[in-house]
Amino acid sequence: MLVLKGVPASPGIAIGPAILLPGEQIIVPVQHINAAEASAELQKILRAIEKTSEELDQCEKKVQASLGTEYANLMSTHKLILQDPALKNSIIQKITKEHLSARSALCVTLQELAANFDKIEDPFFKERRNDIFDVGKRLSANLVGGKQEFLASIHTPSLLVAHDLFPSDTIALPENHVTGFCTDLGGKTSHTALLAQSLNIPAVVGLSTASKDVKNGDILIIDGENGLLVINPDRYTLSNYRKIQRELKKTESLLKTINHLPGITQDGHQINLYVNYDPRTDTKENKRLVTDGLGLLRTEFLFMNTPQPPSEDIQYSTYLAVAKRFDMRPVTIRLADLGADKMPDFPLDEIDEDDNPFMGCRGVRLLLKNPDLLHTQLRAIVRVACEVPAQVRIMIPMVSSVEEVRHVRAAFEQVLSEIEKDNKKPVNKIALGAMIEVPAAAIALDGMINDLDFVSIGTNDLIQYLVAVDRVNPDVAHMYDPCHPAVGRTIHDIIQTTHQRGKSVTICGEIASDTKMLPLLIGWHVDGLSVTPRMYLRVKNSIRNLNFDTCSDLAQAALLMGSSEEIRNLIEQNQHEDS
Amino acid sequence: MIQQELKIINRLGIHARPAALIAQTAANFVCEIKLIKDNISVDAKSIMGVMMLAAECGSSVQVITKGADEKEAADALKNLFENKFNEEF
Repeated sequence: MLVLKGVPASPGIAIGPAILLPGEQIIVPVQHINAAEASAELQKILRAIEKTSEELDQCEKKVQASLGTEYANLMSTHKLILQDPALKNSIIQKITKEHLSARSALCVTLQELAANFDKIEDPFFKERRNDIFDVGKRLSANLVGGKQEFLASIHTPSLLVAHDLFPSDTIALPENHVTGFCTDLGGKTSHTALLAQSLNIPAVVGLSTASKDVKNGDILIIDGENGLLVINPDRYTLSNYRKIQRELKKTESLLKTINHLPGITQDGHQINLYVNYDPRTDTKENKRLVTDGLGLLRTEFLFMNTPQPPSEDIQYSTYLAVAKRFDMRPVTIRLADLGADKMPDFPLDEIDEDDNPFMGCRGVRLLLKNPDLLHTQLRAIVRVACEVPAQVRIMIPMVSSVEEVRHVRAAFEQVLSEIEKDNKKPVNKIALGAMIEVPAAAIALDGMINDLDFVSIGTNDLIQYLVAVDRVNPDVAHMYDPCHPAVGRTIHDIIQTTHQRGKSVTICGEIASDTKMLPLLIGWHVDGLSVTPRMYLRVKNSIRNLNFDTCSDLAQAALLMGSSEEIRNLIEQNQHEDS
Repeated sequence: MIQQELKIINRLGIHARPAALIAQTAANFVCEIKLIKDNISVDAKSIMGVMMLAAECGSSVQVITKGADEKEAADALKNLFENKFNEEF
């Protein structure tokens, strides 16, 4: 039995046989074949080379269009490596003469080539081995078949183990009998983790070595509550976890009994509980949730994996379908937060390569440089607001100055007057607000609050920028700390400033569903929370067990504290007193 | 057989892109083309071979061409080296 500690990404316990995502590991054990099989293996590698070559061609075109010639050259280097006689001949020889399987032949060849590069002293040239491994990985993946095809070939309930999973891979998991997954990379707020929550499957990420420690068919326990991966558990552990699993299921069904009850504290203070809604992962379970409205509709997905931006009509019909689901409740649509890790395939104006994309051209900055994108999206949203009784709210991402808000508002007013000329009018006045996630916007919020109808705090990025920690970098990810005194004080300041002007604040982001942090958020008088459907009833249940007065005292005390440790102790003490 | 010594004068040496250019250029000729540096001899048509030379700025490489179009190949490579692999203007 081996236990690995990672980061809990999506709650629940999953138990079952492991299945490793193939093609991830290019180092495989040496596997010999019969002489008779050689020609079949040879065909395999030749097909894989051909397929890889096509991929690189496409990639080169994409890169050329989005990043320019310099990067496209890198792809042509990769193509040359693929066609390099040294690589091809060595693989062919190892299959036909030494009777290795295609994968082993590739692996041994890559290792030999890498060994040659390791001898080089100059670190700059030594690095070139990475290019060879890049090509090797592509080849290897094509040798074992595409990821999607592989996922589709899973027929029994299994737990997926991967080095890393793209959100696009994650989304197809449940229909492919994957009942839980774990990855080496990633943090709690990675997009893969967020997707796992909306898919209702337990997940643990950031395990570092899981894909190396686990073999196909190992029995695994994925403990999404505590962020643990247990490999080949002993009998005692297994039965213990089965018990916990049963109890969790019981709690889940108990939670359903509060579905129709309001989100109020024991002493009657109401918190508006919104849901982060993703139309792509709308399960039957999610449809049954009784919510106060839609707190965050991320729209980036419409802009990804498409050769051109989504048309006004496509956006209109998507938003319309979503808005109809929420009848007369608030529907908060966030303008596309493109850039950083969400760069679309279609070319954008004035966007160059970015060394530090999270500080670069993303969110409202990118939209203002591409006014057509902004205009089209605003038109689609305003047209929807003319059709439905929902309270449509538009949220601007990544705002750092009041000028940005005014520019967006001007574009918005223009769209309103265009629509008016078509003799249409929004059923309800559309609110225009901002997601506060840049510290500058938080600190100088008093300067822009008059131009905003509402405020939403995007805590994932706000914390990242406040503590200057890239949550994707495993070396510093542990310093990404919601309990840091600066985080609480900033959230409190935002709420105060907004309330002074009689406007409301909603928190979206991971912190809103962290039941440990809830007493503080409520104590700082936040008006609403927006959480994933998966966490919705848990959060409502926690709120219903809190006392607003106690929370206020606790939250005031936390503001005076100078270290994370003190705040953490305060929260824990309070929890013990409650139970 | 033509043997010539070519000096690397572009600032970054034979990194990925010049290596690609050398391999691409070499592939246009039928003759055998060898690059030799520090007693390591590699096939100029193999990009990985060329990169393995780790030829930095200021160093020299022996270029040996042998076969039907050895003259043209030798000239083409000489050109490439002297033009700093079209890198600096």
